[in-house]
Amino acid sequence: MRIFLAILTYFSYIFIIAMYTIKAAKYLKLPVHLRWELYPVMHEENYQYGGSYFEQVDWWTRIRQKRYLRGFLFLLKEYFVLGEYFQKHKAYWYFLYPWHIGFILIITFHILCFFGAVAMVFGITISSSSQSITGIVFYYAILFTGVVSFVTGAFGSVGLLIKRIYDENLKQYATPLHYFTYIFTFLIFISGFYAWYFIDPTLSEYREFWKGLITFKFIDVGCGAATHIILFNLFLVYLPYTRSMHYITRFFGFCLIRWDDEPNMRGGKLERKLQALLNQKVSWSAAHIKSGKTWGEQVEEPKMRS
Amino acid sequence: MKIEDISKKSEQLITIKPEDLMPLPYPYDTPDADPAMRELTQDQKNRYEASLDGVLAIGIPKPETKEIEEELIRKFLSGLAKLLTKENNWTFLQPLLHSLEYCVKCQICNDSCPVYVASGKQEIYRPTYRPEILRRIINKYLKKQSTLSLKLTGSDIELNWTLIARLAELSYRCTLCRRCAQVCPLGVDNGLISHEIRKIFSQEMGIAPKELHESGTVQQLKVGSSTGITPKALGNIISFMEDEIEEKTGKKIKIPVDKEGADILLLHNAGEFMAWPENTEAFAIIFEAAGINWTLSSELVGYDAVNYGVWYDDFQFAKIALRHAEVAKALKVKKISVGECGHAHKAMMVIADRILTGDLNIPRESAIPLLADLVINNKIKLDPGRNNFPITLHDPCNMVRLMGIVEPQRQILRKICPQFREMEPHGVDNYCCGGGSGFAIIQSMNFPDWRSAISGRVKLKQVLETFQDVISPDIPKYVCAPCSNCKGQIRDLFNYYSVFEKCNIFYGGLVELIANAMVDIEKPFIEWEWH
Repeated sequence: MRIFLAILTYFSYIFIIAMYTIKAAKYLKLPVHLRWELYPVMHEENYQYGGSYFEQVDWWTRIRQKRYLRGFLFLLKEYFVLGEYFQKHKAYWYFLYPWHIGFILIITFHILCFFGAVAMVFGITISSSSQSITGIVFYYAILFTGVVSFVTGAFGSVGLLIKRIYDENLKQYATPLHYFTYIFTFLIFISGFYAWYFIDPTLSEYREFWKGLITFKFIDVGCGAATHIILFNLFLVYLPYTRSMHYITRFFGFCLIRWDDEPNMRGGKLERKLQALLNQKVSWSAAHIKSGKTWGEQVEEPKMRS
Repeated sequence: MKIEDISKKSEQLITIKPEDLMPLPYPYDTPDADPAMRELTQDQKNRYEASLDGVLAIGIPKPETKEIEEELIRKFLSGLAKLLTKENNWTFLQPLLHSLEYCVKCQICNDSCPVYVASGKQEIYRPTYRPEILRRIINKYLKKQSTLSLKLTGSDIELNWTLIARLAELSYRCTLCRRCAQVCPLGVDNGLISHEIRKIFSQEMGIAPKELHESGTVQQLKVGSSTGITPKALGNIISFMEDEIEEKTGKKIKIPVDKEGADILLLHNAGEFMAWPENTEAFAIIFEAAGINWTLSSELVGYDAVNYGVWYDDFQFAKIALRHAEVAKALKVKKISVGECGHAHKAMMVIADRILTGDLNIPRESAIPLLADLVINNKIKLDPGRNNFPITLHDPCNMVRLMGIVEPQRQILRKICPQFREMEPHGVDNYCCGGGSGFAIIQSMNFPDWRSAISGRVKLKQVLETFQDVISPDIPKYVCAPCSNCKGQIRDLFNYYSVFEKCNIFYGGLVELIANAMVDIEKPFIEWEWH
């Protein structure tokens, strides 16, 4: 069992990292597109009311003040607030928010377990009565993130399941996979809760399990913790097949599409990329398009005439 | 109604009943205040594919044989496949795939759509409906998912001609205002998907509304303007405008045409020359007063800023954008300035930005910041007292939400209009006039009724609410719409509901208000004559 658990854990983490990397690379390798921004653009000077550099006469002669950090912080904040949902669909937000917080915290919990295990390898005892401040901090941080994620995640999963079933707007577009996902996540969170509440109130088994993983001295864990570990690992394998990449692509979508107001300047890098794209041949077959010719050739004729 | 019903043959997928429509404020708050929308004649129903909602924007003739129908289905699929390739659609591939792959169907965007809300929340107008259909077709017919996978992902749908014909019409029930995209926390853009569906029909199947393609972009490239104005006719119009300026203001102004080396090539939507020459005249008066070195062009395409390609076809778009740049280059102007036309703003400055390279990448800007500079810095003498009537501002989506030109027009109005008041919401959160994405110029069969009763409904509600305290017809009121297409839509919308007669709400552009406030013009420039 211990070997199985260890291999499954290694595999699922490598799998999700590889899949997410491939997907992200695929996204980022897509060609530069025509501008399609939407205001407000957060890095712009007048972002408060949605103003752009087009509000200035001879805008191309002025130095632009771009504040990328503002955009980054805006997106980061939204992860923890889900403000649009709160404003536009509160009844949904009440369940979506705990569900998301459950995910964020369960990931944090596993990261902390990993670093806690590293600390243990270096001889730090992780407990509430540890001699080391680091050990105490790890103890409470792991306990807090674990328990809160189990509770909020389980609550959110059930809430969203009910909402998808009974809300007419959501029901029409819900798929069997939606329901499966909510049930699956509920099982993950509730199994974690069960293991903590009934078997391992200090979550020491998780820390030991992670220590075993990094030292290659695998250990047996109780049935409760094992169930949770297996379910969570399977979930990691399942995630790349869902729309969960939106945690990452949301950043791409905002930075590369919605806020992409980068002007094309003569002789610039962007212009060189565009010229290459305009040299591609197209195969659209409507009568007004010359199939087999390049984009550039499509628009060359007719020449100006009076 | 279920999503998959779109494939099922029936006379009409939905029927819009007057009682379903979003209520309007006084004086349109009675059950009989809504004019009856025209129904299609039996002959029209027999000839065209009208089984979506009984409204026709495109008017696709019914295929005469089964073979033709099958060929159309095959072409639709081949077009959809091309839409997903880098070579054929690098222009929008990344935004398209983002929106297709990362929508979580939370429906948070629904209530931001004016068409969906105004129609009484008809399922087919829901912003997520069209993308869902497209996603299902892709999963089943292009990705060829297994039966089990289709069931699990809810992607089962039958692709037939009924679906395709309905989807074509349905892509013209979204104004591309992109309010839905603005509220999406994941950056999904359902408006873009409508745009991309239109491209399949135009670029692969040769199907598009006549007003956008044949008498739109094709005519513009051939004759010079989508209005049909030829370079010769333009000369007559300019003479007429010069005469009218003199008659109205006593000023003898020679409108510069084809002036080589001018600082500014001013590009108007040619619709202004035909329907609202006072707008182009006001520009001439203001530029003359401010001593600006500018010119119009009489070259083919160079006197019409419109670019309908931006709504339905990347190739037609690029051809026109290129012509505009070539005209400016030949005239050796320092920059192109776009007059009061929202989509021309976006087309020329934003979308064309990544089409024009090398010496065709001529600086392009909106005329509005320049006007704001003239007004705010007192470069022309103005008396705000001449505009002392209630005024509100309509924000053209293309210029505001999609370009971020928000404040300059407000700076002008705050300076010269003592009774300026904002609509709610406004700025980047504005509502579309209902004529966006080509709707304002589509006159096909009963479509104008639909765009007044449905797509323009929220705008009408906003205008009425803004003027509710002065709604009496005794008080003249003005909706400032610095966009040709928005003005066209507002004109038709107000006509449909007799708003001018019942409430005395007039509409017009921004420059007319500036000219109206000029102290050296004796008579009021705005004549309050409905047209």
